[in-house]
This record gives sequence, structure tokens and C-alpha cells, in this order.
Amino acid sequence: MKFWSKVITIAWKDALSEMRTKETISAVLVFTLLVIVIFNFTFGANQEVMAVVAPGILWTTFVFAGVLSLNRAFIPEKEQGCLEGLMACPVSREVIYTGKVMSNLFFMLIVESIALPIFAFLFNLPFLSPQIIVIAVVTTIGFVTVGTLFSALAVNTKAREMVLPILFLPIVIPILIGAVKASELTLAGQSWNDLALWLQIIVAFNVIFLVVSLLIFDSVIAE
Amino acid sequence: MKRNALLMLSFILMVAALYLIFIYVPTESKMGVVQRIFYLMVPMGWIAMLAFIVTATGSILYLTKKSDKWDALALSSCEVGVVFTTLALVTGSIWAKPVWGVWWDWGTPRLTSTLILWFIYLAYFLARNLATEEYRGATFAAVAAIIGLADIPIIILATTLWQGLHPPPLIFQEGGLDPKMRFTVLMSVIAFTVLYIVLLRFRISLRQSEAELGTLKELDE
Amino acid sequence: MENGYYLLAAFTAVWAGVFAYLLFLSGRQVRLHQKINAIKQVLKEKESK
Repeated sequence: MKFWSKVITIAWKDALSEMRTKETISAVLVFTLLVIVIFNFTFGANQEVMAVVAPGILWTTFVFAGVLSLNRAFIPEKEQGCLEGLMACPVSREVIYTGKVMSNLFFMLIVESIALPIFAFLFNLPFLSPQIIVIAVVTTIGFVTVGTLFSALAVNTKAREMVLPILFLPIVIPILIGAVKASELTLAGQSWNDLALWLQIIVAFNVIFLVVSLLIFDSVIAE
Repeated sequence: MKRNALLMLSFILMVAALYLIFIYVPTESKMGVVQRIFYLMVPMGWIAMLAFIVTATGSILYLTKKSDKWDALALSSCEVGVVFTTLALVTGSIWAKPVWGVWWDWGTPRLTSTLILWFIYLAYFLARNLATEEYRGATFAAVAAIIGLADIPIIILATTLWQGLHPPPLIFQEGGLDPKMRFTVLMSVIAFTVLYIVLLRFRISLRQSEAELGTLKELDE
Repeated sequence: MENGYYLLAAFTAVWAGVFAYLLFLSGRQVRLHQKINAIKQVLKEKESK
């Protein structure tokens, strides 16, 4: 229990500072909306075409929003010198990693919970079904487990904002494939059983990367 | 001395493989001569994978043992590996054009997963070169390699299940392959694996010279 | 033999790639050894002074 109370303290600290400024969430949300609008113009207003490409658009939007939001996980801390403070805390690196995963997950889920109804509204498609929500939650967990690790790495590189997407995107391709496929199946009216295969792949990815990240997070952040 | 022996072995094996590919092996009835690209494509793809596994293994050992020799192994294997992965993509493309009619077929899991692997190779160099301090670069690159290794099985699984265009090329199934063809593929794989080892050792010795230069420079100051 | 060009292209690409990499490595080796020898020379001169 001690572990989780420390984790929650770190996540809560991030949530508090975000609630004061609302910088990250509002910027990511505006970005998400803009991407939706741009896709609408680039693919034309044809309803049939939209129904085919909508899952792809949804996940492209979320993965780029994820990169934007994950970039903010460590950069402000580094800029304001808080990272050293965090390192000096008498907690293990695993606690810091898990806390950061929690806060990133929290931010991204907030953005997605606002973006999904807008998607459903603008594309006139059932994006609010329980299937899509489950897919979104498990895939977002996958994004943040790897993303938090790479975000901590990127903060100590020369071109911070550029490093994260180049490391992050190739790694998340398999869960992106899973999320898009599962969303397509849902929109095509398939049952939970048909989604199970893709959900299993995403969950397996999450478990593997949670374990691997916990094991190597220390070398990313150690001085 | 040992290196020269390996170089000779590599040369002999390569000549033998060329003989097998161009003279010994029968021409495939349906595809014709182009099918012989296959004996290049398979070793390229194999070494793309092998070199990455060596890189990631070196990275794990570097992170646990903190010895520069493991970092040298990981870096060298990664550099040789990226050359072979690029060649795997090129030969795959040249294979795709006459056989499937397109230079690039997104429905082929082997091509698409090799492409993703290529990007992971690049991520290794990026993490290494953009780190603020050099010792950190080695650690960051090791992290990128380990994450990449953990991702490979999932990439292969996802890209295979994702595609619906072509079934896996018949030639990869052991049973469907003519014994002469199987022998030729095997020899070609062995020849290129020895070439990979030769290049890897060359690159590692270069890395050692670089380290020597570094210490000499410190002495000079 | 209508597709022989593809076969030729594949073999050329692989061997050109391998030899280009070998040349690149040898070039680096030569330059490194030159530098190492130059520094060794400088160090020797310093010692003799």
C-alpha cells in the first residue's frame, strides 16, 4: 500500500499543477479538434468515405495528441528545475515512473473523453459505444507506458520535442494496428468476440512494456 | 590471423553460395529466374533480425554490467544491421515488382515488419547521437534497443494479422520447398551470416581504435 | 529470361551495398590510424623535450 500512496502523491502533484494552469490539456484538446477538422477537409465530405477512414482518423489523431501530451510530461519539470527535486525525493524510480504513467493516463483520458463525443457528433458515427471506449482505454494505457519512458529519455537529449515521436511511433505501430482494426470491427457491428483477438494483442503489449519499462526506467533517469 | 581465416571462410562460402544460386539450383517453374532473388532476400531478412537481437543482447549486458565492450558490440551490430536491413528492404522491393506487380506491397507482413524494424534501428542511432552527454547516449540507445526487441514479436503478430492480401509466401513453408532449394537457401544464409560476423568484427575493432584515440587525446591535454 | 533484370538488380544492390559499407569502414579505419599515429608522434616529442 505504501507504494501506491507514493504513486498517487506524484500523480496528484501533476494533476494539481495541471488544474491550475490547464495548459497541456487545453492545448492538446485544441490540437485534437484541429486535426479532426483538417482530416475532414483532406478526405472530403463524402459520408461513405468517412465511415471507412474514420477509425484511422480517430487513432491518428489520438497518437499525435499523445505525442504532444507526453512531451509535456517531463519538459516543464526539467525547465523549472523540478526534475532534480523529484529525483531527490526519497522514493524509488519505480514510484516516479508509475506516478508519471498515472498522470499521463489521466490527462490523455480527459482529452479523449472530450474528443470522442465530438468525433461521434462530427462524423455522425457511433463512437460512443462501450467497445470503442474499452479500446480507447487499453490503447491509451499502451501509449503512456512506452511514452512515459521515452519522454523521460527525450528530456535529456538535444532536440527534446523531436526525439519522442521518432522513438515512440515505430514502437506503438502494433497497438495502433490493433486499435484501428478493433474500431473498424466495432463500427461494422461485430460483437465483442470478434474484437477479442485485437484487444488481447493490445493488453499483451501493455503488460510487456509495463514490466520492461519498470525494469529500465532507472537507467533513463539516473544521473 | 584468426580474422584472415574468417575472411577466407567468408569468401569461400560466398563463392559456394553463388555457385548454388546460379548453377546448382533448378529454376522455379512458375516464377522463373526471378525466384533466385529469394536466395538473397532470406539471408538479408535473417541478418536484419539477428543483428538486432545481438544489438539488444549487447544493450542488456551493457546496462547490467556497465562495460564498454558490450556497448561496442551493440553499436557495431546495429550499424552492420542497418545496412543489411536496408538491403532486405531493397531486395524485397525488387522481388515484389515482378512477382506481385508493385514495388511495395503493404499486404506483405515480412516487408512491413522489416520496415518498422528499420525505423527502430534508426531510433537507436537517434537516441545515441542526440543525448546531451556521450555516456548517456550509450544508455539511451540501449534502452531503445531493449524496447525494440520486446516489440518485435508483437509487430510480427500484428502485421501478419492485419494484412489480408497475400498469404505468407509458399516458399517459407518447409514442406513446400524442393530439397535443392532448401539447401541453397541454407547455404546462402550461412554465407551471409559469416559475412555479418566479419563486418561486425571489423566495426568492433574500429570502435576500439576510436576508444584508443580518445584516451590518447586525453593524454595530450 | 524476361525478368533477369530484376535478378541482376537485386544482386547488384546487395553487393554494391556491402562493398560501399566495407569502403566506408576502411576509410574510417585509415583516418583513425592516421590520427592515432599523429597524436603518438606529438606525445613522443613532448616526452623528449
